[in-house]
Amino acid sequence: MRIFYLVKKEFIEIFRQKELLTLLFIAPIIQIIILGYIVKTDVENIPIEIINLSKSKTSYRIINRIKNTPLFNVKHISYKNRDSINTLKEGNVKAVITFRDSFDKNRAMLKYPEIQILMDGTDSNTSSIAAGYFNGISKKYILTDIEKMDKKLSIKNKTLIRFNPALKSINYMGPGIVALLLTIVSLFLASASIVREKEQQTMDTLLISRLTSIEIYIGKALPIAIIGIINMSFGISVVMIWFKIPIRGNLFILLISAIIFLYAILSYGLLISTIASTKQQALFFSWFSMITFILLSGLFTPTENIPSNLQFLVKINPLSYLIKIIREIFLKGNGIEYFYKDLLCLSFIAILVISISILNFKRFTSK
Amino acid sequence: MKRIKALIIKETHHILRDPTSLLIVFLMPILMIIIYGYCINFDLNNVNAGIIDLSNGENSKKLIKKFMNNRYFTIEDLKEKHSDPLKEGEKLLRSGYLKEIIIIPADFSKKIEKGRKTEVGIILDGSDSNVANLIYQYNELILLDFQDDFQNLNNFLKIKTKVLFNPDVKSSFFFIPGLIAVLLLMITTLLTSLTISREKESGSIELIFISPLKSFEIILGKTIPYIFVSLIVEVLILLFGKILFNIPFRGNMMVLFVFSILYIITGLSLGILISTIASTQEMAMFATLLTTLLPSIMLSGFIFPLDSLHPILKGFSYIVPATHFLKIIRGVVVKGAEIKHFMFEGIILTIFPVVLITISNIKFSKIRERSK
Repeated sequence: MRIFYLVKKEFIEIFRQKELLTLLFIAPIIQIIILGYIVKTDVENIPIEIINLSKSKTSYRIINRIKNTPLFNVKHISYKNRDSINTLKEGNVKAVITFRDSFDKNRAMLKYPEIQILMDGTDSNTSSIAAGYFNGISKKYILTDIEKMDKKLSIKNKTLIRFNPALKSINYMGPGIVALLLTIVSLFLASASIVREKEQQTMDTLLISRLTSIEIYIGKALPIAIIGIINMSFGISVVMIWFKIPIRGNLFILLISAIIFLYAILSYGLLISTIASTKQQALFFSWFSMITFILLSGLFTPTENIPSNLQFLVKINPLSYLIKIIREIFLKGNGIEYFYKDLLCLSFIAILVISISILNFKRFTSK
Repeated sequence: MKRIKALIIKETHHILRDPTSLLIVFLMPILMIIIYGYCINFDLNNVNAGIIDLSNGENSKKLIKKFMNNRYFTIEDLKEKHSDPLKEGEKLLRSGYLKEIIIIPADFSKKIEKGRKTEVGIILDGSDSNVANLIYQYNELILLDFQDDFQNLNNFLKIKTKVLFNPDVKSSFFFIPGLIAVLLLMITTLLTSLTISREKESGSIELIFISPLKSFEIILGKTIPYIFVSLIVEVLILLFGKILFNIPFRGNMMVLFVFSILYIITGLSLGILISTIASTQEMAMFATLLTTLLPSIMLSGFIFPLDSLHPILKGFSYIVPATHFLKIIRGVVVKGAEIKHFMFEGIILTIFPVVLITISNIKFSKIRERSK
């Protein structure tokens, strides 16, 4: 029961920082809402400039089609030739599309213009999508023309989209961002907690008390775990209620996985806190680890893209497992048979980190 | 001036006294650019697609070949391996191994021969909407290309596409300069965010309060020493970025350097503002992370193109410092753009620190007033 008093003291210490608490609970929620509501990861509205030297009927028709797709945003149409390279350097448009009259006799028959596309390749992703899409638009246009001339051949692309039929990115990002919050909150609080006592020279007071080192460790970990769990449940409710993201799988398994993850990240934070000699060091280091965990977790970019000799960074990153499990449960509604391996790996990492952290703390207290 | 100098000396001592922290500050960006530079990219490659060919004719084989020749797809024939290909395919789709299943109907080849309308069924994993969109686009292109072979559309219409600045369409040209911008902001903000809150925590802030220093002198004295630290960090990041990832520096390095000083000062002043408001170091750190990490990644054009953002968010992106520096660094490094292309960004990056420092000054004076 001695632990109880320590837990109480820790809570007082955390609650004393009122702004921190507000920040811990409110700011992340606002961020989820802002990001989730309006961030679309789909490429749209690519600003382009059109130079129409052809002025033929077909060129106007193709331009009309371009204007009507959400993918392009036609900023400017000119009928005189301009220095396209300089336009692209200025950076206000991403592509310049030029329509020229073609002098090829084969094509002249149908009066199709010759089209030249100049693309800014800086954003490789956007430019390849745009080029492909533009090709598609023009070819489809001709296909319908040919169909009118009674030379039909059409293959319909009948696509059925699973798991996220409306292709809403919030369904994919939202649940992941909750995991991110859990990481940020618990790692910060944990990495500051022991080193704070060191800096204030109150660690010795704790050590000469009758508490055993394990009790001190648990007393430090428990309040943060509680705050973390509350914070996460809060986040999950926002994701489920506000964004109406359905949870298709088992909520219970989700919570268990999150708690295992929480223990891993907590003891990692406490490990940092035990080793560091100033709060600044502890915070720098946890900041660095946190960003690495987040960026290499598959939250923003797919982990498959990481080169195979660096894949181990994903394998030792507990957050990557949690994000995978969360997505399996939320989006796909998969049962445990699909991700039991990830859960096992996560647990293994958790046990490893916890034991290292406790052993290290014991060594520190016995000095 | 003399008083500021004294404070700068004190702050420099503070920085040098904790070599471990300083080492972390210098090593961190190098590690970060190496790890993230290799690991973060958006390229779509190795999309595993399962094919169930019920038609088994010449035309369907041609179509499959088209998919196989595309560098993004790795095709797996589900019919060959499993007795119940659809069920097995669904399972693989669910596990995330397959991203799509392409089903060619039994009458496909015959219908094509006769020139009649036909269709191809595709089951697509939509969980990552971005990836799903890309795969959908590629499917469309391949199907169009297939029809092309029968009708020689290229004879009718000629489309010449030329990609400027990055002819191989390498994503590292996009990501590495972006990463440099994001890292620089995060690190500079982090550096100063702890300075005042640390004094608050240890109580030594009282000593500064009762000194004859004016508030803005304190703010400046706390910021200036970190400009040097940040400059070293910046040179390290640029150097490693250039050496490791072969990013061409097409533009003038001086242009980049001038703007990056403005950008560094912006980051440092943001940190100072956070530090004046936050009462403890962990709170300052938390606020730093919230204001720099997610906005710099999601709202600056680092990953998601700004033009595709919702108009409200696009407006919001103007107050994210990384947005402007990103435009500059990508322009200078990849496109060889000149100083005249960045007048607007330059002005904004000058306004940022002035506004941030002024607000911190007001806040700081208030706190000082209250403690009297």
